[in-house]
Amino acid sequence: MKKSVLLSMSLLLFVGLFMVCPLTYAQNTIKVGIVDTYTGPATTFTMDVLDGFKLAVNEINAKGGVLGKKIEYTTRDEKFKPDIGLAMAKELVLKEKVDILMGTINSATALAISDFAKKEKLPFFVTFSKSEKIIGEKGHPYIFNMNENTAMVGKAAAVALAKKPYIKYWIAGDDYEYGHAIANSLWNNLKKLKPQVQKAGESWWKVGEADFTPYITQILAAKPDFIIAATGGAGMVNFQKAAKATGLSQKIPFYQHTAIELSVLKPQGQNAPEGVFGTANYFFYYPDTPSNRAFVDEFKRAYNREPRIGALSGYMTARFIAAGYKKAGKIDTEGLIKALEGMSLDSPVGPMAIRGCDHQLELPMYFGVTTKNPKYDFLVAGDVQAIQAKDYMPTCDEVLRVRK
Amino acid sequence: MDAVYSIISAGVLSQVFVGLSRTTILFIVASGLTLILGVLRIPNVAHGSLYMIGAFTAFTVTKLSGGGSAGFWIALVIAPLIVALISLIAERGMFQFLYEREHLMLLLLTFAFSLVFGDLVKLVWGGEYKSVPVPHIFQGFVPLFGGLPFPLYNLFLLLAGPVVAILLYLLTNKTKMGKIARAAAVDREMVGAVGINVSRVFATVFVIGCYLAGLGGVLVAPTVSVTLGMDHNLIIEAFLIVIMGGLGNIWGALLGALIFGLTQSLGILIWPKFGIIFPYLAVVVVLLFRPTGLLKSTW
Repeated sequence: MKKSVLLSMSLLLFVGLFMVCPLTYAQNTIKVGIVDTYTGPATTFTMDVLDGFKLAVNEINAKGGVLGKKIEYTTRDEKFKPDIGLAMAKELVLKEKVDILMGTINSATALAISDFAKKEKLPFFVTFSKSEKIIGEKGHPYIFNMNENTAMVGKAAAVALAKKPYIKYWIAGDDYEYGHAIANSLWNNLKKLKPQVQKAGESWWKVGEADFTPYITQILAAKPDFIIAATGGAGMVNFQKAAKATGLSQKIPFYQHTAIELSVLKPQGQNAPEGVFGTANYFFYYPDTPSNRAFVDEFKRAYNREPRIGALSGYMTARFIAAGYKKAGKIDTEGLIKALEGMSLDSPVGPMAIRGCDHQLELPMYFGVTTKNPKYDFLVAGDVQAIQAKDYMPTCDEVLRVRK
Repeated sequence: MDAVYSIISAGVLSQVFVGLSRTTILFIVASGLTLILGVLRIPNVAHGSLYMIGAFTAFTVTKLSGGGSAGFWIALVIAPLIVALISLIAERGMFQFLYEREHLMLLLLTFAFSLVFGDLVKLVWGGEYKSVPVPHIFQGFVPLFGGLPFPLYNLFLLLAGPVVAILLYLLTNKTKMGKIARAAAVDREMVGAVGINVSRVFATVFVIGCYLAGLGGVLVAPTVSVTLGMDHNLIIEAFLIVIMGGLGNIWGALLGALIFGLTQSLGILIWPKFGIIFPYLAVVVVLLFRPTGLLKSTW
């Protein structure tokens, strides 16, 4: 009696094992694996990507999903460490059997996962890494870049700054790849557009530098016309605060990428310095169109805060994935890639396309200056000028030439 | 030539003062760290987290009291006390049972605490950057040294540093508690043998040390963005300062903070492109010639 129970139990278990396996193979959902940093200072940007993505996924699933399949996603916290991030991407692909990889804010992680995605022949959507190597020298057909990169930012800023009268530039920034890449791209493009510019000097501080005062007093003593401050992350606010405290913002104009962005300006309230030049790809208040207002309202209703660039990036990633599969007519990687090349979708800020040659999303780019506005209790971007994609995107030729 | 000379020296003077105000924060945090290290023998990696909690609490207190300058002064009083309270709970609930353990184990334990605190801060305050406004009377700057601007808030920090140093001196040298603590640092069994409640002394020292971390967090808040991760940046510098000065020696922490702050600000003046390496170079040089630190270690 006992023996037979044991036997039947183990048989049941055995059958159970086989029951589970086919279930995971028979895909009823489209699985997206997201690897990103959800601890530490980067969280302020990554949560926006995730929330924007969720918003679009919920919309798509509510309408019945894609080709009858719902989109499902799993997240992994890579803690800003490339080795952990890569291990997580592998786990997502081998164990969770995801169809698509997505993430991250850490460029080193993005490059590591990109290499893995290329070998696995799995599409990888990069949502917040700014390294130009991702679609440049390390680019491949499975990578999609859904945000701006340092080459684009530098070129856009150079286009805008070349029209300004400044000659003597000081270059300063966070001493890591992002800082140097932005500064180099800006400076090289600026020299091309306006050969008479001069470099007065450079200073580089460590990432996470808390107090910029000693650096700023030194720059002030050198009296340049303009400062390129290639800061990122928390350094953005730290630099602006020090610039205000030392009076730098009133004496010497300076530029920071995302200086005019909500993530930098909102925490400072009315105390942010006025007249700081910056570039950004998205504002919740500009352009003031019905579609942008609708997106902002929807995002606010869901998360009780205004969307920022990451939210747009995450939102459009989900929409492109859905539209891509729909156009391909089946859940198939090669079909998806082919469908996405050159595809244009309506976004909250107007039509947006994925460039066919290098899979770069053609985001709008705005140049503006920090300004007080009675409508908000924080500073916003004023004097906004849109820079056209053809002016600031590196050409297909330039991107593909460096690819190996 | 005179004009050139005066500009150069003005620049140098300005950098020295900026460096000194940076020293203030470093000293306040490092002195708390070294106090705990010296008396309790705990290498408290979570010290940086308490500094971060101090800054975040300052943000909340400032916001709750209307976001004006009064808020900052209230935060200056309340936030370090809240940090002290958290540390008291941690000490009574956890550390008091572990004083006899290996240093490595305490190091791992406090490291675990720093991770827990980091996640708690994320849960309570979220991932957004926070900013504490500079109190009104210290907003802006004054032209000092040949017209180079000097932030008023840094002047305030310059005054706060010596005040804390003097109070710490009085506490450790002129009060009975301080004397017992110093004795316990040298020989804790002997102090216990003469009938003194060592456990209470240890708790007090731990709380004072953590109070200093919180105070540093509040003082730094108006100059930076209050954000996750500010703990890790600081704890490394604080430990280097403590090691450079001599483990457990408060005046060593002062000396270490001075060297760290000044080499940084003057290094920027000499070689702005590689300004970051100077403080670390100083650490290397000091440890090459004095491996146990500049002043006498209590270990």
